[in-house]
Amino acid sequence: MELVRDILDKQVVDRHETKMGKVDGIVAELRGGAPPRIAFIEIGSVALARRLGPRLGRLVSRLSARLGGEAHRDPCRIDWHRVRDIGVDIGLDLDVHDTTVFDWQDWLRDHVVGRIPGA
Amino acid sequence: MNKLLEISLGIVTSVGGFLEVGSLTTAAQAGAAFGFRLVWAIVLGTICIIFLVEMAGRFAAVSRHTISDAIRERFGFNFFLWPLIATLFVNFLVLAAEIGGAAIALEFATGIGFQWWALPVALVAWLLLWKGTFGFIEKGVSTLGLVTLCFVVAAVMLRPDWKAVAAGAVPSLPGHDTARYWFIAVSILGASISPYLFLFYSSGAVEDKWDKSYLGANRAIAGLGMSFGGTIALGVLIVAALVLAPRGIADVDDYHQLPLLLIPVFGFWGFVLFCASLGIACLGAALEIGLQQAYLVAQGFGWNWGEDLKPRDNAGFAAVYTLALLMSAIPIACGLDPLKLTVFSMALTAASLPLTVVPFLFLMNDERYVKEHRNGTIANAAVLFVIALGCVLAIVTIPLEILGG
Amino acid sequence: MMAELHIELLLGRRVAGPDGEPVGRIEEVCAEPAGPDLAITEYHLGVDAALERLSASSMSLFGFRRRRRRGYRVPWDKLDLSDPEHPRLICPLAELAPLESQ
Repeated sequence: MELVRDILDKQVVDRHETKMGKVDGIVAELRGGAPPRIAFIEIGSVALARRLGPRLGRLVSRLSARLGGEAHRDPCRIDWHRVRDIGVDIGLDLDVHDTTVFDWQDWLRDHVVGRIPGA
Repeated sequence: MNKLLEISLGIVTSVGGFLEVGSLTTAAQAGAAFGFRLVWAIVLGTICIIFLVEMAGRFAAVSRHTISDAIRERFGFNFFLWPLIATLFVNFLVLAAEIGGAAIALEFATGIGFQWWALPVALVAWLLLWKGTFGFIEKGVSTLGLVTLCFVVAAVMLRPDWKAVAAGAVPSLPGHDTARYWFIAVSILGASISPYLFLFYSSGAVEDKWDKSYLGANRAIAGLGMSFGGTIALGVLIVAALVLAPRGIADVDDYHQLPLLLIPVFGFWGFVLFCASLGIACLGAALEIGLQQAYLVAQGFGWNWGEDLKPRDNAGFAAVYTLALLMSAIPIACGLDPLKLTVFSMALTAASLPLTVVPFLFLMNDERYVKEHRNGTIANAAVLFVIALGCVLAIVTIPLEILGG
Repeated sequence: MMAELHIELLLGRRVAGPDGEPVGRIEEVCAEPAGPDLAITEYHLGVDAALERLSASSMSLFGFRRRRRRGYRVPWDKLDLSDPEHPRLICPLAELAPLESQ
């Protein structure tokens, strides 16, 4: 498997085929004496901003923590063992509502979009 | 729904949705200033968009991805940012021009200045996106767009010298105003080959859940739909050449000149038909571009997206098209001349083509996405031609804008 | 605390040889299942780095298959990532297998 070609930037869907986002980052754990193992995938604007530059990453991280609380300072991390299927999309064995990925969309729904009639 | 019905509907929506403020304005300018000598630009633009749209449909049906989604996935986020930002910006301008076009139609109909209509038009478009489903928007509004066929009828009724029209299909140099000639040619190409057209088509194919069984239908819709749509633009050019030029209007630089187009043929009804055509065509385009802005962002970032979903279920997607419509209405509400904006944004569109078409070329040849339905030599040649055209346009647009705009 | 490595930030990073000379840029990271985990097996370095992701594809334009690319395959234990911003090769270049077009 090639991580950049097959995993990075791929669409992630949850157990119910709901689109969650794209794989914005992949975190490996360095182990002395053993090959690094893939530990998490990351989803979120902080991970994306970091790819554009470390300063931008820190800025977005601070902004994210300011707006959403400490839980959003770092991007949402999903354990690699939750990945159950790698095909057209990366399928996860969890429900998107168990993660913080949709927090901003939920906020938007509750405070802006949902307030407009007909939503 | 059986395939034949789907194909027919697809063609109808392509035809009804083809004309918008850019193609109408540039065709009218071409006809008024240069008679039939720019027919080739419309023909060339239409052929190019047929190729691109067929590929967009094929790509979506086989890979089950949309183009923006695939560009991010294949080339990475850092690269994707470039076509994303460029396309968002160009779309912002074109969307403003469409809202302006609909606002002008309402000004003609009511006498109230177009600035006052900008926000109401945006509101109507927003309401349709907010409450409507993709099928309703695509098919309903586009079917209404068939009213633009009145231009074809008018062109035929004016009995042009068809041999001269056919002669115009071969590029020729004008005897005068060379800079202006090429500027209008560039604008026509920009109006015909807008990135939002084929990007939207791929999103639509995924919204309609196309799969490999739709490849034949896709070819029919792209080929026939875009061809018939192109004849409408041709109709506008012919009418302008026969109506405006003899009246001494060589430069369509004031939008008040446009309703004149159909009055000689249809009398008072010509005025009504013109307003209806302009208004509906621009509204339809505004809906498409507004949606396309949301598709670009949502697909690039992997959000939940889909016009059929209720806004509360894809808040991010809904927020983007709401913001897009609002932001694009503002320049028009502030009084920016929609005609000047249209001409400018069409030229800019042409210049921005390489940024989206180059990655698209790679995608259309990548087995991992299109499997055995890769581009053949002819299709690749067509895309390479469009890219070359786009690069030339990118270089000459600004000088031509200054010299001939 | 887990010692972490961000794969997406490794992309395009210049790799220095054991003597400090530039060897190439990281283009791809390969991994294979190892028990319950997915473990990194090797890194692909490309010498003509400009558009890495454009090259690593299965593409044929007008019937030409992509020619052999210059690059190296580096086993996981031959790349020192203690400073992820400046990866270093631990072994001499001659020991590395070349990158062949797929």
